[in-house]
Amino acid sequence: MRVLVADDSRVMRQIVIRTLRQAGYDWWEISEVADGAAALEHVKTEKPDFVLSDWNMPEMTGIDLLRTMRSQGIDIPLGFVTSEGSAEMREQAEAAGALFLIAKPFNAEIFRETIDPFLA
Amino acid sequence: MSMDIDIQAFAGADPILAIAEEVFTAMIDGEPGHVLPALSAPELGDPMHAWVDVQGTTSGRVLLSTERATADDLARALLGMEPDEEVSTEDFVDALGEVANVVGGNVKALVPDPGVLTLPQVTQERPPTQDGSQIYELNLDWRGRAVVISLWKLP
Repeated sequence: MRVLVADDSRVMRQIVIRTLRQAGYDWWEISEVADGAAALEHVKTEKPDFVLSDWNMPEMTGIDLLRTMRSQGIDIPLGFVTSEGSAEMREQAEAAGALFLIAKPFNAEIFRETIDPFLA
Repeated sequence: MSMDIDIQAFAGADPILAIAEEVFTAMIDGEPGHVLPALSAPELGDPMHAWVDVQGTTSGRVLLSTERATADDLARALLGMEPDEEVSTEDFVDALGEVANVVGGNVKALVPDPGVLTLPQVTQERPPTQDGSQIYELNLDWRGRAVVISLWKLP
């Protein structure tokens, strides 16, 4: 499975990838980008199976990335990993078609509980 | 955002301390118990400051302050580096900013009318704040090192 991790923080991308491995997804082939615009380009050219995206990023935010993908007919599943998890953001994420929203800080158990149901 | 966090409303449990404990446990230490409330305000030599702002009808700032050496140790912990490994400026700025970002995102969730969270900024100079605009300060002891989290009203 080819997965794209989008986050403007290299530190956070590393933590997300490390936590994915701790959660047992060490078989995933992971690519990284640092903003929403780069993520959009990547999903168009590389067509990954799944996108894990931060919300608050320069160039293009995560929610704009998801809305743009859907408006262009790109239906690759996307989940958010973000420092905010307000009810309003969860509603926006769901309305735009996100699979889930994981609020930072997270751990391997939260990743497994949230992501596993979508892999069945 | 109103930044009006009623600390008393949390029945004696400090919500900012709870956020700090959660962030340090999950992201930095991998286990609980390494970040504790400190009894007194520390003098920070060679300080570094990281902050995010919440911009809304009224705006606030979540500021995290520590010493450069502690910021390096935080970056090493976040990146899974060895204790004596050199930390690049890019990495410690990224790491400290991301800790402030996650703390700020969680603080934002406590306030009733939140606005937009800005991207984190990290500087050696303390960002200017107005007299009387401090809402709250929490002094922490992380593995014997001082970390201060403070909340400010912005004009």
